[in-house]
Amino acid sequence: MMHRSPLSRREILGRCLGSLTILCSTSALRVAKAVALPQAQHRKPTPANEIGSFYKKRAPKAAMLRAPGDPGMPLTVRGQVFNTRGDAPANAGIEVWQADHLGRYDLDGYRYRAQLPVDPAGVYEFESVIPGHHPDRVCQHIHYLVLAPGHKPLVTQLYFATDPVFEGDPDHNFGRDPLIHSRELVRPVVLGGDPREMQALVHFDLVLELL
Amino acid sequence: MTWIRICCALVLVPPALGASLKLEKTITVPPEAVVRFTAVSPKGDWVAGACQDGRVRLWSFPAGELRQVFDLEDQRVSRLRFSGDGALLAVGGDRGGIRIWNIPSGKLKLQFKVGEPVVAFAISPDRTLLAVARKDEPAQLWDLTTESRITDLPARFAGSLSLDFSPDGQWLALADADTEIRIYESRTGALRATSDDLLLETFAIAFSQDSRFVYAGGADKTVSLIAVAGGKLLRTFPRQTHAVSELKLSPDGKILLAIYFDEKGLANPAPVVVWNVAAGSVEAQVFEPEVTPNGGGFLGSGRVIVTSSAGPKLQVWSVR
Repeated sequence: MMHRSPLSRREILGRCLGSLTILCSTSALRVAKAVALPQAQHRKPTPANEIGSFYKKRAPKAAMLRAPGDPGMPLTVRGQVFNTRGDAPANAGIEVWQADHLGRYDLDGYRYRAQLPVDPAGVYEFESVIPGHHPDRVCQHIHYLVLAPGHKPLVTQLYFATDPVFEGDPDHNFGRDPLIHSRELVRPVVLGGDPREMQALVHFDLVLELL
Repeated sequence: MTWIRICCALVLVPPALGASLKLEKTITVPPEAVVRFTAVSPKGDWVAGACQDGRVRLWSFPAGELRQVFDLEDQRVSRLRFSGDGALLAVGGDRGGIRIWNIPSGKLKLQFKVGEPVVAFAISPDRTLLAVARKDEPAQLWDLTTESRITDLPARFAGSLSLDFSPDGQWLALADADTEIRIYESRTGALRATSDDLLLETFAIAFSQDSRFVYAGGADKTVSLIAVAGGKLLRTFPRQTHAVSELKLSPDGKILLAIYFDEKGLANPAPVVVWNVAAGSVEAQVFEPEVTPNGGGFLGSGRVIVTSSAGPKLQVWSVR
């Protein structure tokens, strides 16, 4: 994430002068907003990652993917959808699909598959379990498909820094899965809750490219 | 573990309808050149194998003589396919390279790059067009006579998984990662029909002999029949226990060879089913717990052959 340094007086003056050209052609209110509101931060697009097998369309709309009593470590994933300008794209849709705690995909039904609710600010959250290792993949992962009008579709995958494959050092070991081309997709995992009922929390923002 | 697999197989897979595999040929390769997957020529007289050492080996069949060794040099082979007349062997790599060799001379006819790892490709019956599915990017249609790209063939997202030209050369069918089957005019790449009935990905497609229908098989463990005109799903063959990885139509158009894989692990054994396409019924079904099929096709006589690897041995089986 980029951090904006405080503006110098020269920069503030420059921006105000720059606004004057807009002032001539648009309402004063809009210019006032442009000056007063912090500009959205430009963001780097989320790296794409292959779609893999077993995408299934028409998944149910849900934010709770695990059922009561499901084995595996409970997982909460939350984040926000942006575009590279730093805005929340209108009408963004997120689909996720993953294996169960034993690494098995449900091809018959829609277990661990969902279209997630996304609020107007692009915020999403879902509840699941940490997926198991599929025999034909190296690392635990969750598939993402993110679509928004006017934006390039994003197909990517979320990985977990706690995956035993990384042996506690994802910076050096993320390449052990030949499909992980970007360290950025390996997200930190915060463990919390009662020691007898640990819960994992992952934050994963998604940044779309504009068309 | 093997016993568990065998027991599971016995429970999950119905009796083989009197079919079994007969070992026709064992071909020994160097230990570093284990065959990963194969392509069988349309007449069954050649078997090409993508080997672990990065090379493609070409054997005559049934003699099993090594006739050519091809190299993609800096890339791992991701796909092999013969042209419909068996005169060309095309090889695609994981860095986007495609090379096409004349068979049996082994003379390089053409090579070019498509920018992304090659997932699948097909050569038109008249050998003037090549369609290429690229990993997570739109498929492309190429004119082989001018070595130029005609157009891209985009899915809603990601790329395509399988494709095929119709026998009359008029149509090109793509199975896309968004689960839809799209039918294009071969010459122009103009989209003519879309089938959106399938919920899961299709990994293999094949045209009917009269070019009017497309057979599609994939993660839903079925083979579906789709009309080229309009893209309507007409029929679904009975669901099996495994996902479909490859479909091949017999030269007479009456038999469809379906090779399956275990979605819980590609190395697991999986069945082979010979479908009677007119009846939509199983003609023969074979599951050998120690055999993981990695290719197959038809002999000139119409008999079905299947390949598998056992260490440094490539085995060619016939389905009896």
